Amino acid sequence: METSRGTRRLAAVDRAAAGLGLFPGQKAADALAYVPDLVTAEAEPEADAQALLALVDWCVRFSPAVAPDPPDGLFLDITGLAHLWGGEAALVADFRRRLARNDLPVVCGVADTPGAAWALARHGDGASLCPPGRQGEVLDHLPPSALRISDAACAQLERLGLRRIGEVRRLPRSQLARRFGLELITRLDQAMGEAPEALAFRRPANPWFDRLALAEPISTPDDLARVCGDIVERLCARLTAEGQGARRFEIAYHRVDGRPQTVEVGLAVGAREALRITRLFLPRLDQVDPGFGVEQVTLAAFEVETLSARQAALASEPAAGGGVEIAPLVDRLANRLGAERVWTSQAVESHVPERAVARRAPFSPELPARWDPARPRPIRLFRRPEPIEATAPVPDDPPVQFRWRGQLHRVRLAEGPERIAEEWWKAPIGAVSATHVRDYYRVEDQAGGRFWIFRAGLYEAGAPARWWLHGLFG
Amino acid sequence: MSSFTATGRALDAVRAKIAALETGGRGDPASLSFGEVSIDRCFPGGGGLPLHRWHELGGEGMEAETAAAPAAFVALLARPLLKMGPAVWIARRDDLHPPGLAGLGFPAGGLIEVWVRDEAQALAAAEDALGASGVGTVIVEAQACDLTAGRRLQLACEKGQATGFLIARRPFGGGAPGMAGGSAAATRWSIASAPSAPVAGRPGLGAPRWRASLERCRGGRPGAWLFESPGAYSDTEIQDDAHPLRLVAELGDRQLAPAQPARPANPPVRFPVGGEDAARRRRA
Repeated sequence: METSRGTRRLAAVDRAAAGLGLFPGQKAADALAYVPDLVTAEAEPEADAQALLALVDWCVRFSPAVAPDPPDGLFLDITGLAHLWGGEAALVADFRRRLARNDLPVVCGVADTPGAAWALARHGDGASLCPPGRQGEVLDHLPPSALRISDAACAQLERLGLRRIGEVRRLPRSQLARRFGLELITRLDQAMGEAPEALAFRRPANPWFDRLALAEPISTPDDLARVCGDIVERLCARLTAEGQGARRFEIAYHRVDGRPQTVEVGLAVGAREALRITRLFLPRLDQVDPGFGVEQVTLAAFEVETLSARQAALASEPAAGGGVEIAPLVDRLANRLGAERVWTSQAVESHVPERAVARRAPFSPELPARWDPARPRPIRLFRRPEPIEATAPVPDDPPVQFRWRGQLHRVRLAEGPERIAEEWWKAPIGAVSATHVRDYYRVEDQAGGRFWIFRAGLYEAGAPARWWLHGLFG
Repeated sequence: MSSFTATGRALDAVRAKIAALETGGRGDPASLSFGEVSIDRCFPGGGGLPLHRWHELGGEGMEAETAAAPAAFVALLARPLLKMGPAVWIARRDDLHPPGLAGLGFPAGGLIEVWVRDEAQALAAAEDALGASGVGTVIVEAQACDLTAGRRLQLACEKGQATGFLIARRPFGGGAPGMAGGSAAATRWSIASAPSAPVAGRPGLGAPRWRASLERCRGGRPGAWLFESPGAYSDTEIQDDAHPLRLVAELGDRQLAPAQPARPANPPVRFPVGGEDAARRRRA
């Protein structure tokens, strides 16, 4: 039940209610008058949309290309894969049987175009197959509402006495377009296959996809691992044959109860070595909960790129080539610890020490910026500068001694200041102030410890200078 | 005469045999010379720092927690090894500042940094990295490494032909790092910063110096030296042949040197950075 324009109406009815003459859009008061003991529930559009997405994910077991058609439908692109089930009829039968097992009532249609399939599913007998190239004959007998057009256009067609799509098709196109707008023409052409239609697939159609149907549901870890190895080998054989490598692999274990369990691994550079990729998957398969058993496994490769065959370096030669030969190690660490925990540092052109370093993924292209070795920077930089008590008798000079973590350091040598101001062009002009200036000094104490300290802000008579320790040179 | 050379040859053979026994029978002669015979002599075989092993380094006092001096020293030790393959730096804390490495002449742009969650992960990642093919150097910051873990690291070093450096580092507020006790490391060093010697006529600090004491050396003997990195924080091109660490001859007893004035004797250097003009005006 939903509320639209201030009236409680039925949003959807089940089969028994439909048999009693109730229909969606009926006023709730009328429906309760017909059927006093009607059981109603509040409509939950968000939950419905999520359930549809879950169903779309489940349908990946049939085809990698699935497009949701809100609020209550989906398109399944079965081009070129019906033979895996022994024909379209067998596929539809399997599809219906599996959904029926989960108590999901379903109507479906198979046709050359999404429009024709939609019409067949909603207005045909609910399980029809349209022979290839014959959607015209099939659609001619269906009402115009099967064309996915607006209710207004539909009502107007009815008023003009056009009750079949065939009658509409016989009219001159120019008149149709003038009277009903471009929508009707477009939908008609899409249903006939004369105009293209783009489906918003849940995930882009991916040719690097493989599936393995299992005769018996499996659930032991050993079996999961073995199946993983098998399917990776199949996909990698294809990748090898076409000279490609992928940087991301996603394996999905489809459980008997229809909940896919996915595991993903990423690689620093494209790869197609089955053994290596399987080894990346294996430690993470314990995340897979097989439930009552897994009956199908799918594997998809993403970010596929051409991978030229590389000659392994001669044994006597030192390693060269930007270190790509250690990519397997980087992949292992990144997949075990998390991709954000393995990085290579990249110089950023900024004087602010905290901003001088950016992290980039290993083996990603390096930007030309570099750090100036003549500007001494500490080897340990504290994320937050630590306050120190410094004694600096002359305002603009480095301190003669300072206390850090309860220990007194007498300054023996110092150099600086290196004045680092905030990057005023990055902040609104009102927020810029001279107090955000730091004067950095590199100081050495009597014991030889080298520190990077700074005084915050400019010198002001009367106000005590604030000193901070930001890093250690070692 | 001839009997004399024969005796010398026999002696050499015996020395080689003893060296082989002391290194545990592994005939792995790869080593990195410090370019200084007095140092190289302390290591087994007399060739310098043994490669394809792992070495343990640590500091004392606050350095046991911050590990800045050992990190800088390791960066310089490992720099000549970079031509054997990329380096991996594994740490639990992410306070390593790559511009600091760059200032020491260590090209940080190709360094792979790994940030682990705990001690076990650090050692596991180090073992994995040491055993991987193509890796040249692995630097790992860990609290301690017991005999079993150390032996595993050693086997990984031999498998992957990589050299490892373990920086003993106490976690923040934790106990002392477990440098004591048995260890499978090839060498164990204690590193401390040492006062630099400013160049006459140039203000500021001199080239960074470290007091490195080789506390234990498998098949060798301990020693202590004062090292300097002459090329640090300079724009000059780094020569690949010379070792980045240079031995500093100790002149007399440093403790007896006249105490330096607390105030810096030299006027501070000003770097040409933004805002400098304003500072100068204010001074005037």
